[in-house]
Amino acid sequence: MDNKALLHVNNIHTFIGQFHILEGVSIHVPKGKIVAILGRNGAGKTTTLKSILGLTPPSQGSILFDGQELQGQRSFEIAALGIGYVPEHRAIFRDLNVSENLKIAERKKGDLARKEAFIFDLFPDLKRLIQLQGDHLSGGQQQMLAIARALVPDNKLLLIDEPTEGLAPVLIEQMMAAIRQLSAETTILLVEQNFIVASQLAEDYVIIEEGQSVKAGKMADLVKDPATIRRYLEAA
Amino acid sequence: MTTLLQSFRKNRALWVTLLVLCITFLMAVRGLVDPIAEGGERYKNVVITILRGLSTGSIIFLVASGFSIIFGLMNVLNMAHGALFMIGAYVGWTMAVRPDTVVDAFTPLVLLSAGFTLLPFLDWSLQKLNLPKVAGGLLPWVGLILAIVVLGFAFPKYPITSWDVGSYEISPTNYAFAASQGQLVAPEPEGFAGISPLVGLGSIILGGILAAISMAGFAANRRRSGAGTGSTKESLPWKSFLIFIGLVFLGWIVYFFNTPISTFLLNIDTTWLFILAVLVAVATGVLLGALIEATLVRPLYETHLYVLMLTLGVSSIIIEVVRAIWGAPEFTMPRPSIFDGTGEGCPAESLGALIEHKCSTIQVLGGRVRTYNEIFIPILGIVVLITVWILLQRTRLGMIVRAGVQDSDMVKALGINVQRIFTIVFALGVGLATLGGVIGAPSTGLTTTLGDSLLINLLVALAIGGLTSYPGAAAGALIVGLLQQFIIKYGQIGIHIPFMDEPFKPTPPLVPAMTVLLMVVILLVMPNGLFGRKE
Amino acid sequence: MTTITSPQTNGLGQFFKNNRGVLFSIAGLIFLPFALTLLDGQSIGSMLANESGLSKFYQGLAIEIFILAIYALSYDLLFGITGLLSFGHAMFFGVGAYLTGIMLKSFSWGLLPIIGLVAVAGLVMALIFSIVLPRVKGITFALVTLGIAQVFYIVIQSREMADLAGAEIGLQGVTPPAYLNPVEQRLRFYYVGLVVLFGVYFLYKRFVDSPTGHVCVAIRENEDRATMLGFNTFYFKLVALTISSITAAFAGAMHGLFHPIIRPGIASSHYTIAALLMILMGGIGTLDGAIIGAATFKLLSFYLEKWFGGTSQVIIGVVYIMLVLFLPYGIVGTWKLRGVRLRDGWRDFLQRLKPSQTNND
Repeated sequence: MDNKALLHVNNIHTFIGQFHILEGVSIHVPKGKIVAILGRNGAGKTTTLKSILGLTPPSQGSILFDGQELQGQRSFEIAALGIGYVPEHRAIFRDLNVSENLKIAERKKGDLARKEAFIFDLFPDLKRLIQLQGDHLSGGQQQMLAIARALVPDNKLLLIDEPTEGLAPVLIEQMMAAIRQLSAETTILLVEQNFIVASQLAEDYVIIEEGQSVKAGKMADLVKDPATIRRYLEAA
Repeated sequence: MTTLLQSFRKNRALWVTLLVLCITFLMAVRGLVDPIAEGGERYKNVVITILRGLSTGSIIFLVASGFSIIFGLMNVLNMAHGALFMIGAYVGWTMAVRPDTVVDAFTPLVLLSAGFTLLPFLDWSLQKLNLPKVAGGLLPWVGLILAIVVLGFAFPKYPITSWDVGSYEISPTNYAFAASQGQLVAPEPEGFAGISPLVGLGSIILGGILAAISMAGFAANRRRSGAGTGSTKESLPWKSFLIFIGLVFLGWIVYFFNTPISTFLLNIDTTWLFILAVLVAVATGVLLGALIEATLVRPLYETHLYVLMLTLGVSSIIIEVVRAIWGAPEFTMPRPSIFDGTGEGCPAESLGALIEHKCSTIQVLGGRVRTYNEIFIPILGIVVLITVWILLQRTRLGMIVRAGVQDSDMVKALGINVQRIFTIVFALGVGLATLGGVIGAPSTGLTTTLGDSLLINLLVALAIGGLTSYPGAAAGALIVGLLQQFIIKYGQIGIHIPFMDEPFKPTPPLVPAMTVLLMVVILLVMPNGLFGRKE
Repeated sequence: MTTITSPQTNGLGQFFKNNRGVLFSIAGLIFLPFALTLLDGQSIGSMLANESGLSKFYQGLAIEIFILAIYALSYDLLFGITGLLSFGHAMFFGVGAYLTGIMLKSFSWGLLPIIGLVAVAGLVMALIFSIVLPRVKGITFALVTLGIAQVFYIVIQSREMADLAGAEIGLQGVTPPAYLNPVEQRLRFYYVGLVVLFGVYFLYKRFVDSPTGHVCVAIRENEDRATMLGFNTFYFKLVALTISSITAAFAGAMHGLFHPIIRPGIASSHYTIAALLMILMGGIGTLDGAIIGAATFKLLSFYLEKWFGGTSQVIIGVVYIMLVLFLPYGIVGTWKLRGVRLRDGWRDFLQRLKPSQTNND
């Protein structure tokens, strides 16, 4: 374990109701890198992100973020430490317009004003749509907004869940470019079902299978290892 | 144009329903036009009925808006909302008719709550002390029992000059009557029964602190049984001390200047008293709401049905407490003096005369319109409608509420303390209910069944409008209010049905029956109500 | 060795084994009047002749519990098993009680035709509720049923109906048939109540274990899935609603026979909430829980009223809040709940009560 880790998830167990969803997940996210969580549907990838954020608090294990223990803290306290969350299915606020969707993410007054230029540089479309209600946006625009929302405050880590799900190929390219551009500024923990996308973006990977992290390493090694890919990632 | 057409196609059911409602409304209006009278007087009944409908609708709206926002944001059907509405009426009445009682009760309540302002400090010190398990487990219970003993000793001896439900001479009914005649004589204030004031006041402060220790202890135990340790604040929370001392000081001041304050309040104009009554009622609602949310609702957010049962329990407790304090008989609340003039120049012929003579009624198209009920209440309803709308649309709190209605987990993930927002919204929602109660009291009078009947109207209005929609709450309340008043009016003049000699007169039971019928019909056409979101 | 014994081989023995607790309770309840007589020092003969005494008094209390338990069972079938939250259940009870009272008093009908009429009335009410059944769900259904029941509550209190229903005072002067008079034939009434209660209980148990009952539970857990499996959920909900409403109407009829005055309060929303409280206290979705909850409810209100008089309502309210806070799965529910998935099923179900549930795609 090197000391440069920004996030260190150590053997967490999470229950949702009576269901034991995570049965030992460990993730190591070095500063400044993109780490991809891979695995089949229902393996527990989304729950892992939610557990880091305390939305589904883990019952065991520890999560160290920037030297602080997250276990036992409340979700909003965790997020305020500098973790941005881009959930699955976008989950932007439909009743709020684009500008409000960004503004609500402010942690200090003036966050948005500072970051506005950067965000609109990354997603020029949003500037044009600024007054539009959330539920009038297309899928791609919603995804951009969801990422943009996580960029408003100064976040040290972004948790991004399935950013390319359900998008047209052109938009996937655009999204990937944006994420790549972001990784220059911040650390990203990415959940991605599409292996091609993940392999092009991430430097490190973690594979989760039935609630356990079974394999981790450099993405470059994984690409050269078709047996592992077949074993854990291809549809059963 | 095309967008209009599109929106029509998309919401066909809504447009057709609204059209049918409008046509029904116009037909109902036509039926009220008096064919014999001349000129504007023909519309006398129409105007009065619509104004009354607006008035009823406004009261329903005040309560329904809070209810619907609470339901939307935290998924809590607060069945105590009706009872809290009633609390607003009773507390407001007390302030308006017996301000001296409020002044008397102020001191112990402030001293009691002073203890709770020490909570941050107690939390901090419990974390520092880190008591052994047994002591930590015992502490809250010991604190609770001691608090009950100390308060049980001091509270009954505390001198609150009030009324006696059992004796007519000094009953709320009689005070209400005397106040409306301007002949109120407040009874002589009492002194402490048997103990020195110092002991009495001191034990109430002590009781509050003990109760707060118990609460902090329970919270600490919850934290301990939970997974993590939580964040420990390093510095001693000095601020809570200052608030504590300030509150204690305030309580003592009011105690020592009790008589002058009471005398002053008893002699000021009823309009000022009414404004004070509104403020006191709203403040009570806000505090009560925050208290209910923080202590009872919070542990149960996950299980909504249990919250429903819980609020029902709270409702029945409130009703019984009101019955115990104010008694079961009906009584009235005087109108503020600016809406209560009856002398020379009244009923007012014009708006100028109305303001000049402060008339209780105004002459409109040959009919008498009551200023308070039929003009003031609807205006206030509209003011609140707009205020809350602006609060929802233009403030950060409103933004968070609108976002939280959709997805409160995501709001948490943005680093926002949703729990605090829940408490604030619950408190404000209850505050709106008590506002409705105190505003409605002069027109409806006070009974212990006030809350029940309002709750039914409120639920019907929200079902019609769409349970979690703010415009829906307004529309539903308006529809229910108008419908009820129109049926009541038709009950007086009768409906001429062709081929029948006698006009058909709807009887009072038909009023709620018709609203329910309308609700069923609308829900059959639009299962989510007029403005509710589709599933 | 043990695996060979299949449960079907010994029907009666297995039945006894499965229902040991219930059968013991029934036995206990059969002997209860005698035991109380002996406790009081009264002679068995005088008890059998329905002379007043400790035993007769407690028989009365027990009969009230039986009636409430039948009522709670019917609500449990509707809400606890099928997941239909209705706030209008008291109407079923009220219709049963008022029909019985009115038919006995104003039309002098016999008991048998009344029973038939009550059953028909139960069916009709279920059909009225079912008009909205396919369209509205969750809390909206609850509000609609509340509204309909509220109308009935207002109508029976109205002046226009005063001759028949006695307005807000209630229906008085009903003379039940001599062979089932609650005063002269208390003991007989007690056993009739006992038989009806456990008749309903075993019938319900049979229903819950039947394929239809399984579908009802599936509807509670996840209606969409039940629909996807090809079930017409409306039909199953209608069946549950009908059985429930007829049972509740019978409970009401017994109430009408037992009480000298039929008060309109039994048709108010408070009475529906009482049913909800009973099954919550006992444990939602458990039939035993409904009976235990009804008994707890009645005994609690009776004794609190006796000991505290006027302030009892406040104490009852506090006790309910305590129960909700500290015994959230009810008596039977908490007892059974040790790793059972009931909790999740419920949380899931309660989540869906909100009409505009978000991001469940």
